[in-house]
Amino acid sequence: MSNARRKISFQLNGATVSATVENHHNVVELLEQFGLRGARESCGQGLCGCCTILIDDVAVSGCLQLAAMVDGKNVCTIEGMQKNGELDPIQQAFIESGAFQCGFCTPGFVLMTQQLLDRYPDPDDDQIRSYLSGNLCRCGAYPEILKAVRLAAEKRKSAATA
Amino acid sequence: MSPFEIAEPATIADALALLSGDDPDIRPLAGGSALMLMMKSGVFRPTRLVSLRRLDEFTGIAATPEGGIRIGAMTSLAAIEHSSLVKQRAPVIVEAMRRLANVRVRNQACIGGALAHGDPHLDMPPLLAALGAEVTIVGPEGERKVAVADLYVGYYQTVLAGDELIREVSIPSLAGRHTAYQKCTTRSADDWPALGVAVNLRAGKSGISEARIVVGAVAEIPTQLRNVEMILQGRTLDQALLAQAGEAAAAELSPTSDARGSAAYKRQLVKVYVGRAIAAAMDVVAS
Ligand SMILES: Cc1cc2nc3c(=O)[nH]c(=O)nc-3n(C[C@H](O)[C@H](O)[C@H](O)COP(=O)(O)OP(=O)(O)OC[C@H]3O[C@@H](n4cnc5c(N)ncnc54)[C@H](O)[C@@H]3O)c2cc1C
Ligand code: FES
Ligand code: FES
Repeated sequence: MSNARRKISFQLNGATVSATVENHHNVVELLEQFGLRGARESCGQGLCGCCTILIDDVAVSGCLQLAAMVDGKNVCTIEGMQKNGELDPIQQAFIESGAFQCGFCTPGFVLMTQQLLDRYPDPDDDQIRSYLSGNLCRCGAYPEILKAVRLAAEKRKSAATA
Repeated sequence: MSPFEIAEPATIADALALLSGDDPDIRPLAGGSALMLMMKSGVFRPTRLVSLRRLDEFTGIAATPEGGIRIGAMTSLAAIEHSSLVKQRAPVIVEAMRRLANVRVRNQACIGGALAHGDPHLDMPPLLAALGAEVTIVGPEGERKVAVADLYVGYYQTVLAGDELIREVSIPSLAGRHTAYQKCTTRSADDWPALGVAVNLRAGKSGISEARIVVGAVAEIPTQLRNVEMILQGRTLDQALLAQAGEAAAAELSPTSDARGSAAYKRQLVKVYVGRAIAAAMDVVAS
């Protein structure tokens, strides 16, 4: 194997997988090998959040992350959010709030919301805005997205006390 | 992007051996956020990247006995933002993080990368220069220390040789200091700065006894405003002094135009923001 590519193995949405990657490929390209297209490269510069993924529970832009560097890590994408065929409460909140039109930006917003609620279970509007400021929605669903995040926080709280 | 090799040395000696003093196509890899942008746009076509993530000596945030903080070069900006030690000893850094890029970039980018990159449009270089921070550099000849204020020599150029690494940055005690960082952005709230002003003052009953003011994003390197510092010396803060400081700053600098503002616009920004930053450091409101 040339030194411009390597074999990696990592956790992908809970399953152990391996892949051969070119060193210059990014994580969005890696996920395509697995047929996962929820994280998509849009701006390609870290600005829009359409490629958001969690690596070891930390949200990053897949477009700025070298595939080779996820060797041994735990990668979560939007496709891994539903459990036993049930949508995550955050996804449910986005649907109930009508927080999208075309849906292109939605995977990124949902994963950023998860990151936000993991750190601040009861976020105020400033915290929500500051966490989501790096995600762009071309359809301009921002008011509904704010609503969805507040609803998601409530859903999570009631799920925790249920 | 074209193919390259990625090395992941586990010791500083191995890392230094994999770097090169004279091959610009070999570079250290920290978070990779800046390198990815440069590789994608084709301005950097590496033959080898040397990842620093396995170097234990490059990690961690620790208190120094003198009341300061040491931060390993591979510490993410997010880890600094959420550090209770940094919040306690240098809250101005935590404040600055909130408007630096976005959550994902702060999760990925490391302080060593933010300092070594040398892009004049960054927030940490002027701020850490104003705070009197110092980097520890390791290289083939051993270790040396350089003030962040002396790290930059030109557009994307630092005093670092190709086979030298920033190992950590240390921030001195800020006890009794009045500090502030004011950032002006012209696109979105957390854009790269059109202007950044960092202020570090010591003041008592007899007025301001020490002042350090560094601005970013107006020239090729962070720039210290020595005239303004002199004007503040021994004076007590009032609105007239803030206005005078702003005027002096605008006279002292010759801003360059860039995508975030023309030279004339930046001069006007300097005039307003230098006063605001000094006022913020002293906890008064600029009129
Ligand atoms: C969308 C976006 C928005 C941004 N907005 C802002 C902003 O508002 N304000 C701001 O300040 N910055 C901003 N940035 C820039 C960001 O701060 C830098 O990209 C980041 O700090 C670089 O750190 P890194 O760890 O990713 O470095 P890398 O990309 O890994 O490296 C950057 C450079 O530093 C060198 N290097 C890295 N570590 C070391 C070391 N220890 N010793 C020697 N050399 C080293 C590398 O070889 C490379 O040349 C933004 C970036 C993005 C992508
Ligand atoms: S595609 Fe990665 S942030 Fe826009
Ligand atoms: S719903 Fe279309 S981009 Fe956000």
